[in-house]
Amino acid sequence: MRSVVTIALNELKRYMRDRSNIFFVLIFPLLLVMLIGIQFGEGATTGRAAVVGDDSDLRSVISEELGDQEVDVSHGEWDAALEQLARGRLDVAVRVTAEAAAAHDEGREVEVEMVTGSSFAAPIVEQNVRSALSTLGAQRAQEQALIDKGVDRDRAVAALERARAEVQAPRLEVTSVDAEAQEFEGLGQFDFGAAGQLLLFVFLTTLTGASTLIQSRRERVVQRMMTTPMTGAQLIAGQTLGRWVLGAFQGAYIMVASSLLFSVSWGHVPTALVVLAVFALVGAGAAMLLGTLVDNEGAAVGIGVGLGLTLGALGGSMFPLEFFPDTMRRVANVTPHAWGYEAFAELQRRDATLVDVLPQIGVLGAMALVLVTLGAWSLRRSLQRAM
Amino acid sequence: MTSTPDDVLVVDHLVRRFGDFTAVDDVSFRIAPGETYGLLGPNGAGKTTAISVIAGLLKADGGSVTIAGETMRPDAVSVKRHIGLVPQDLALYPDLSARENLVFFAKLYGLRGKELASRVDEVLETIGLADRAKDLSKEYSGGMKRRLNIGVGLLHRPTLLILDEPTVGVDPQSRNSILEAVEALSGEGMAVLYTTHYMEEAERLCDRIGIIDTGQLRAEGTRDELIRLTGGTDTIRLGGRVDTTGQEEAARSMRTLHGVERVDADRHSLSLTVHDAPTLVAEVVRMAAEAGMKLTDVEISRPDLESVFLHVTGKALRD
Repeated sequence: MRSVVTIALNELKRYMRDRSNIFFVLIFPLLLVMLIGIQFGEGATTGRAAVVGDDSDLRSVISEELGDQEVDVSHGEWDAALEQLARGRLDVAVRVTAEAAAAHDEGREVEVEMVTGSSFAAPIVEQNVRSALSTLGAQRAQEQALIDKGVDRDRAVAALERARAEVQAPRLEVTSVDAEAQEFEGLGQFDFGAAGQLLLFVFLTTLTGASTLIQSRRERVVQRMMTTPMTGAQLIAGQTLGRWVLGAFQGAYIMVASSLLFSVSWGHVPTALVVLAVFALVGAGAAMLLGTLVDNEGAAVGIGVGLGLTLGALGGSMFPLEFFPDTMRRVANVTPHAWGYEAFAELQRRDATLVDVLPQIGVLGAMALVLVTLGAWSLRRSLQRAM
Repeated sequence: MTSTPDDVLVVDHLVRRFGDFTAVDDVSFRIAPGETYGLLGPNGAGKTTAISVIAGLLKADGGSVTIAGETMRPDAVSVKRHIGLVPQDLALYPDLSARENLVFFAKLYGLRGKELASRVDEVLETIGLADRAKDLSKEYSGGMKRRLNIGVGLLHRPTLLILDEPTVGVDPQSRNSILEAVEALSGEGMAVLYTTHYMEEAERLCDRIGIIDTGQLRAEGTRDELIRLTGGTDTIRLGGRVDTTGQEEAARSMRTLHGVERVDADRHSLSLTVHDAPTLVAEVVRMAAEAGMKLTDVEISRPDLESVFLHVTGKALRD
C-alpha cells in the first residue's frame, strides 16, 4: 500500500510543479464560478430603480418600500436616470418632484412620474413601484382615519408603526407552474455554477493528468518501477490513484473555496464528497486509458481538453440540463457529467442524502469500473510492449 | 556450468522469444559475490533482453533465473529486493531533482525515515551530485544524468547490481568516473552484471566475461581463458641498437626460455613470439641487455577480446 501511495503522491507533486497547472486547478475554476454566478444569479435583486428628486419624506418612503422588495435603488439626476434607462442599466425611473413631496408632507393627493425600460425585469419593478405607492396610500389613509378620530398626528404615526410591527402579515406560498423554475428552486446564486465547474474541471484535470503518465512511460520510469519490490497491480493502482488524487483534490478544493467565498451550498457534504470521489475515479480511469493509448503528451492534452469540454457541455456543466431538449437530455446520460450533475442537483436543491443519489452514484461507479479496468489492462499491455 | 550455493546469480538455460525470433537462446552463467561479470556483445546480441528477464521485467520462455537463492519471475516481489537495475535508457523523472528522484525510488525500495535520508545522502556523495542535489535532473549534463541513473540502482544496497551499457553516450571524464564507481562497488563485495559492447570496459572491469551474439553465449571465462581459446600467442618486440653478434647471442639465449616459441631478428629489433608475455618480458629485457643491446623501446602485443570475438563468432565486435 505504501508503494501505491508513494506513486500517487509523486504524481500529484509533479503535476502541481507546473505553475500553469496551479492556475488551472486552483484559480481558473473559481473565476468561472464567480462569472457564471454573476450572470445567472443576477435575480438576487428583483430589479434596478432610480428614485429621483430632492431629499424628502416621499422619496425616502418610496425608496424604503422598493428596498423591502429587494429592488436595487439609486438616486441622482433625472436626465442621467433616463440615459441609464435607455442603456438598459435601469429597469425603472421614478421622479419625485418638489410639488409631490410637499403634497405628501401636507397630506394632499400625491402624483409621481414613472418611466419604465424594456428589460426583462422592468414590469416586475414597475409593479413594485405601484405596490410601494399603494402601500403608501393605505398608510396615509390609516393615519388620516386616526387623525379624524381625534388622535394627534405623531401619536397616530407611532401607533400605526407599532401595530405594523406586531401584526403578522399573511404568508403567501407561491408554486410556479413553470417546470424549469421548480427545478432551480432552492438554488443559491453561485450553486449551479459551482457544481458545473467542479464536474468540468475535475474531469479535465484528471484527463490532462494523462500527460504525466505518458512522460513516465516515455522516460521508462514506469518500467524501472517494475524492478522494485512491487507487483504490477500495485503499480497500476498507484498510477490510477495518482490521477484520482488530482481530481479529488481539485474537487474538494472547489467545494471548500466556493463555500467560503460564494456561500455555495453543497447539501449533505459527506454524500457530496462520495459523488466527487466516484466521479474523479471515472476521470482517473479515462486518463489511464488516454495515457496508455496515446504516446505523445501534446496530443494527450489536446484530446483531453477537447473530450473534457465536449463531455462537459453535453453533460450540463456549461448549460443547465433542464433546458436541453428531450433527445439531448437522453444523449447527455452517456456522459458521467450528467450523472454527477443530477446527483449534485438533488443534494443542492432538494436536501437529498446518500440513499437519494444512490442511482447516480451507482451509474458513475459502473463507468469508473469499466474505465479503470480498461486503463489497467491498457497500461499492462503498454508495459509489455515497451520491454 | 557449475554453480555453488553462494552464487548471487544463476542463469540456467535461459530462453526468451518474441514470436518466431529467439532473442535469448539457452544462455547459462553465474556470478559469485563480489564478482563482476561482463556480457560482451554487439548491439542486438540479446544483452538487454537477457537483463530484462533477469531483472523480472520479462517472463522467460524457458530456463530459470535464481538470485540469492530465490527464483525470479515478473510477479515475484521479495527477490527484487536483491537487485538494483541501471537500465541503458535514463529512467528518471526530468521534472524532479536528483534528491527527489532518489527519495521516490528509495521509498519504492521500502526505505523510510532516517535510513532513507542518510542513504540518499550517501548515494548523492557516491555519484558526486551532493552539491547539485536540488537541481532538476533535466538541467544536468549527460554524464550527471548517467550517474544519477546509477545512483537509483544503489539506493537499497543490492546484492546484485545490473548495469546495462551505462556509459553509452557519455563523455570520457564521466565515463571514467562511472567505471571507477563500478570498481569501487565491486571492491565492496557487490556482485555486478555489466553489459557492454566496449571491449576496453569489459577488460578493465570484469573478472569474467561472457561473449554473447545472436542470443547465444558463445564463450565465457576470465580474460586469459578467453584469449587462450583463440590459441593465439603474444608478441614482444625489442627495439634498439645492437651489433650482429650480440643480436644472435640474445636471440639464442631467449629461445631457451620456457614459453618462447620463436625469435625473429632484423637490423633494429628482435621480435619474440611467446606465451604469456607479461611473465617473460623482464627476463627477455635482461637477456637483451646482457647481450649488449641498447634498448630504445619494448612493445608487447597480446590478443584482445576483439580477437576472441572474431574467433568465436566469425565477425568483428563492432560489425
